[in-house]
Amino acid sequence: MPAESSTDALGNALSAARETGPDSARRVVFVVGSGRSGTSTMSGALRTLGLHVPQPEVLADATNPKGFGEPQWLVDLHDELLKRSNVAVSDARPQAWLEAAKVGADHAVRQRVTGWLADQFADVEGGHDELVLKDPRAAWFLGLWRAGAQACGATPSYVTMLRPVTEVVGSKQKYYDARQGAITRTAAWINMMLHTERATRGEARAFVRYADLLSDWTVPVFALGEQFDLSAVKTAMSVDIAAVHSFIDPSLRRVRLTWDDVAVPDRLRDLAEETWVALDGLADPGGDTAEAHEHCDQLRAAYAEQYAEAEAFASSTTLAARRDGARQALAGAAAPAQASGADKIPHSVRALVPPAARQKIRKAIGRER
Amino acid sequence: MSAEVAPDIACLEGLPEYDVTWPWSPRTPSAPGVPGSPAAALAPGLTCVFRVRNEARNLPWVLPPILAAVQQVLFVDNGSDDDTVAVARRVAEECGAADRLTVLDYPHKVSRAGGEHLATPATSVHSLTHFYNWSFSHVRTAYSMKWDGDMVLTPEGSAILRDLSWQLEASRAIVAMPRHPLTVVDESTGWLDLSLRFLEPWVYPMGPEFTFVKAFDWELREFPPDTERVVLPQGLCVEVKWHDADEFAHWRTEGVDFTNTRLYRKLREFEVDRAIREGTAAELGGLRQVTAPPGVHIIDHVTHTWLGEQPRPLVTHSLPTSLRERSAR
Repeated sequence: MPAESSTDALGNALSAARETGPDSARRVVFVVGSGRSGTSTMSGALRTLGLHVPQPEVLADATNPKGFGEPQWLVDLHDELLKRSNVAVSDARPQAWLEAAKVGADHAVRQRVTGWLADQFADVEGGHDELVLKDPRAAWFLGLWRAGAQACGATPSYVTMLRPVTEVVGSKQKYYDARQGAITRTAAWINMMLHTERATRGEARAFVRYADLLSDWTVPVFALGEQFDLSAVKTAMSVDIAAVHSFIDPSLRRVRLTWDDVAVPDRLRDLAEETWVALDGLADPGGDTAEAHEHCDQLRAAYAEQYAEAEAFASSTTLAARRDGARQALAGAAAPAQASGADKIPHSVRALVPPAARQKIRKAIGRER
Repeated sequence: MSAEVAPDIACLEGLPEYDVTWPWSPRTPSAPGVPGSPAAALAPGLTCVFRVRNEARNLPWVLPPILAAVQQVLFVDNGSDDDTVAVARRVAEECGAADRLTVLDYPHKVSRAGGEHLATPATSVHSLTHFYNWSFSHVRTAYSMKWDGDMVLTPEGSAILRDLSWQLEASRAIVAMPRHPLTVVDESTGWLDLSLRFLEPWVYPMGPEFTFVKAFDWELREFPPDTERVVLPQGLCVEVKWHDADEFAHWRTEGVDFTNTRLYRKLREFEVDRAIREGTAAELGGLRQVTAPPGVHIIDHVTHTWLGEQPRPLVTHSLPTSLRERSAR
């Protein structure tokens, strides 16, 4: 599509979005938090009550038999952006947040997100202008999504799902590839959770414990409806509520582990545990306070310090890997090129041939430039 | 006692109040009255430092998006004779941010950029260099940024900066943000200059490697050679010029040294100002006339709506039209 017309189309969509005005009923609920923390359950519950999950979705599999509640487009976009920023879905580097943010600030990316969101709102017919978006990769790009939602005249809000770090790490060990050890996963969990807290601070947000969602989902979900002014939740009929009951299966919480099951160094365990306690406190009524934020800031600083130390400790490994990568890249670049006859003669020898003679030789062997 | 310990930069005029003592210095009174106590730890976050003189007119546009983005604002008034400080306090109050605004007074006349600056020693209270070192020595966050009293962020720019205030924590990167001059002709009309890709780093970590030194025409903030530079997208910030303020009146009468290419940005502003005054702005090249819908101020229209809708890149040149043929050195 020519750039001009796609710009026009987006412009029209945005003008329409703005006409919805500040009292727009449009809402985008982002379900965030570490994977395996009940994010699928939360987004599934909200969808069952009538929030719209953009289609098509990622298909259910054995790791998530009730479905992921993740729009395929979202997953594909985030995969592309993560690749561009050289950040992994589960990435323990504190610096990764800046890397992802740089890509997320790109105007063209923002236009794509805004255009896609505008299409989703246009798709919803005769009902709620309320979307629920969930993808564990989304946390890296919350600034991008907030801007997109606002450009569409929608109010963004954030639900962060909380599950004890030992259960998340244990669940991941059970369901995902075993290459990433408990230490890396625990570090990535701290990085993800503390920075997600920071990224959503000051926004409309809620913290929900996975255990609370499973034991009686009506309490946290009703609270979200009130807090985020979600008409789908506020006007849910008994048939919808019954459907959520059959969707949420308390036996979903299959992995129950403690620190006895997760082998990490004491110092990391203490930081992870303290992070869990701090985040858990945010889920208490009235727990999202300035003091709690300050505590999270201190934990984030402590994590960055511990990470920097570990990086310095392992720097020989990093440098060796970099040398290895460079060597492989060189070998890869050299391999496919067929060496010509001239290339077999050392450059120092070729340079001895005067330019005019060189030209004649090239002509003779049919390799004129 | 602490007064007996030498400051990091003693001002030439011998005014202890205007000496510079850095927050990382052991002399910083984090533990009052205890010489050599540990330096005050810098809190996470970003402080925006303004040097202002008579910016009352701009502040209702300039301050709210900045207050929404950063943790602290340090507002250094340098001899305003309008109600700049009162307006700053009022706007901060309206934004619910009065507790995050600190107003300092710097009563010394600061040399003008150019020859006057060159002739002023760097540690004089009259030097831009000393002025900025003194101002930034009051910052207590890990990152800081200089900002001008006529620069207006778009809501998107404000949100990106707000995210950066924590995303930068784990880095030592500096951040450059392009800005676009907007000449306000009246409440609903303006000319936006998109001829020049003017990119300047604004956001820096705090630390001994990031302090100010003297350059030829103005001050310069230092940074180590391997520092990562993050460049933000175009269209996030405008620099407001009021056509009726006639700031170039003396240029037209006194003449200007057009050979100094370091001043090319100022020269372009002069050209734009003259072209708008003479009704030839459309022919100058690189200028876009923008008209706001009824009831919307041109600054609000440009920052909230117009810039976001324009195709990118907004600006492709790095030199103004008039200087493209000239040598930059």
